[in-house]
Amino acid sequence: MFLMNSLWVMFSAVLVILMLGGFILLEAGSTRMKNAGHIAGKTIFTFGIASLVFWAVGYGLIFGEGNGFFGLTDFFYSGYEIEGLGLSGPVFFLFQLAFAGISLTIAFGGFAERAKLTAYILFAVLFSVLVYPVIAHWIWGGGWLAEHGKQDFAGSTVVHLTGAMGAFAATILLKPRIGKYNKDGSPNNIAGHNQVFTALGVLVLWVGWFGFNAGSTLSADAAFFGFVAMNTNLAAGAGAVAALFVAWAVTGKADVPTMLNGGLAGLVAITASCAFVDTWAAVVIGLVAGFIVFYSMRFFEKRKVDDPIFALSVHGVAGVWGTLSNGLFATPELATVGKPGLFYGGGFEQLGVQALGVGASGAYAFVVSFILLVIIKKVLNGLRVTEEEEIIGLDLSEHGSYGYPEFLETRHQSGQHGESSSKSG
Amino acid sequence: MEDGNTYEDLRNMREQQIKHVATDHSELNHFHDHLIGQVVHRALEKVKKEWGPPPSPFSFFLMGSGGRFEQALWSDQDHGIVYEMPSNEAHDYFLKLGKEISDGLHSVGYEYCDGNVMASNPLWCKSIEEWKRQLENWMEDESFEAIRHLLIFIDARVLVGRESYIKDLKHVIHTQIVESPFLLKRMLNNTMRLQKGIGVFGQLLVETHGSHTGEINLKQTALFPYVNAVRLLAMKDGVMKTSTLSRLDSLSDEMSRFKHHDYKDKFRQLLQFRLVYGKQENYEAVHYVTIDSLPKEQKKELKEMMKTGIELYNDTTKTIEKGCS
Repeated sequence: MFLMNSLWVMFSAVLVILMLGGFILLEAGSTRMKNAGHIAGKTIFTFGIASLVFWAVGYGLIFGEGNGFFGLTDFFYSGYEIEGLGLSGPVFFLFQLAFAGISLTIAFGGFAERAKLTAYILFAVLFSVLVYPVIAHWIWGGGWLAEHGKQDFAGSTVVHLTGAMGAFAATILLKPRIGKYNKDGSPNNIAGHNQVFTALGVLVLWVGWFGFNAGSTLSADAAFFGFVAMNTNLAAGAGAVAALFVAWAVTGKADVPTMLNGGLAGLVAITASCAFVDTWAAVVIGLVAGFIVFYSMRFFEKRKVDDPIFALSVHGVAGVWGTLSNGLFATPELATVGKPGLFYGGGFEQLGVQALGVGASGAYAFVVSFILLVIIKKVLNGLRVTEEEEIIGLDLSEHGSYGYPEFLETRHQSGQHGESSSKSG
Repeated sequence: MEDGNTYEDLRNMREQQIKHVATDHSELNHFHDHLIGQVVHRALEKVKKEWGPPPSPFSFFLMGSGGRFEQALWSDQDHGIVYEMPSNEAHDYFLKLGKEISDGLHSVGYEYCDGNVMASNPLWCKSIEEWKRQLENWMEDESFEAIRHLLIFIDARVLVGRESYIKDLKHVIHTQIVESPFLLKRMLNNTMRLQKGIGVFGQLLVETHGSHTGEINLKQTALFPYVNAVRLLAMKDGVMKTSTLSRLDSLSDEMSRFKHHDYKDKFRQLLQFRLVYGKQENYEAVHYVTIDSLPKEQKKELKEMMKTGIELYNDTTKTIEKGCS
């Protein structure tokens, strides 16, 4: 079984790391051409940073011996086996590292199209030391929330909400992109440059999520991962369907980006509950996620929070919903951690535990990310590139060459700078 | 200047007087007609001075909302020229006149036409024989663009000069429609796409982004279904009138249900609604209504007008399709 478990989790780790490819496509497709190379490139090198930091301290802070708030041993993990784990230590390490990388990538969604490269680098290090491992320790590393019986199977809170709170802090401090809002406060639609990329990004993420959720069984025993994967798939489908429907019904347009975000919201929501709920509940959780993501996107846009790839709605709001959904739908048979949900006679107890977990984790992730970014802002004399740099695009300003060189250099020479914000929606 | 009306004078006249007629649809359109007519006369004088008198009798006609006598406070230009006797000299002369008119209209406050439907464009400035050939080509071609041109031409209304030219030209189209009703179907397909103004919950669908956030485009969502439907009915019936209201009035007994329904009342109400509640700053904004600031009663009224327009459009679609099968 040791070998089977190790193989399964290794395979899942690969799937989760490939989700970064999904994020590259999603994020680049949802933004403008002039920033595409930068977005793709920063996703890779910040994963490099996350990997090194996770090896040096992240893993130890999460899984080391310590107190209720963080671990203090197992730094610079050297690949030794871990007692009672039931699978290879390095495989477990890689799988966990992948999660830390995903959470960081989600946070960077809020930086898109306007943050300095150096801000990415510093935040990658600090978030990977001070934000993600702390929350992961609380819930997965035997910390104080784990003792409460908090149910977060694969990380709706730990990975997604934490990342989204980083994105939220960033988008507040960075302020909206040039051209996002008109003088009267009305928002413009800054359309992404390639909806096909965005859709492919969602597909890659969807498939990667089988590693994310089903791999979180950490075991091939009885092939329970199949059930988890099935729930995951149902919620994703339901999210996409619900979001497309609600967008069409409310605005009259069957908006593709909204539908794609609905699918992702379904995935994010089921992440906490995929192993604890029945299949019908997975469908309901996905439908509700697709529904709320639409309203959340509208809400934040109206409140002048310019979140270019909707990280806040998809990973934050849907992450909260997914975590809370355990408190409603967790069944007595499946709730191996904590208690059954409200609809299964568990009363409000588990819902309360879930709410406490979400509240504490979200608040910590937001406040610490915000403080870190304020410090980075001071050190770098601003988080944001100059107006001119933002207009010519981060590909050129931060890296010296465009991701689409033939196209954009011609436009640049003719003085057009590749601006493509539409004036009226 | 001999009779005092430079473009600047006309512009001043527009600015001073338009507010007095701004809330009455009919008066406003008479005012536009008068003003545009003045611009044409002024332009003709200028061209005459340089190039002498026109080499042929001609008429200058409006299309678009001007042709339909349905202009809002602000409007863009859509116009053409037809002249009787073809010659190289006439060709140059009337193009020059067309250019002068469109520049004049521009300086008086009428935006240039995005689609270049202006007498300064050779496509819309031709002798009667050339026009006939062009219409026949369009009808034969049946491409999307050709049909769109035909639909634009059908709204032509003579403002200066002889009316018989346009009447003859429209007759060419009508004859063809009688011979091959399929043409009407092509025209129907060309105007099939309606922008939805009411959602499944009966809510008004406002713009969600851009400078018109929270507003609704009256032209696209409310006026066009009426205008496009009634134009087709008029063509089917050989009605030469151009305004939507007079077209409805002139329909034959066979189509009397269109007359007797409250379509006319609702459309008249809609034209008035646009003048009262539409934004009036400039041409770009003139078709938008801010929904939030609209009293409840008016929201309901707007929905009713929209629904009736869609009903009319659907009814028209059925009528045309039946006639073609």
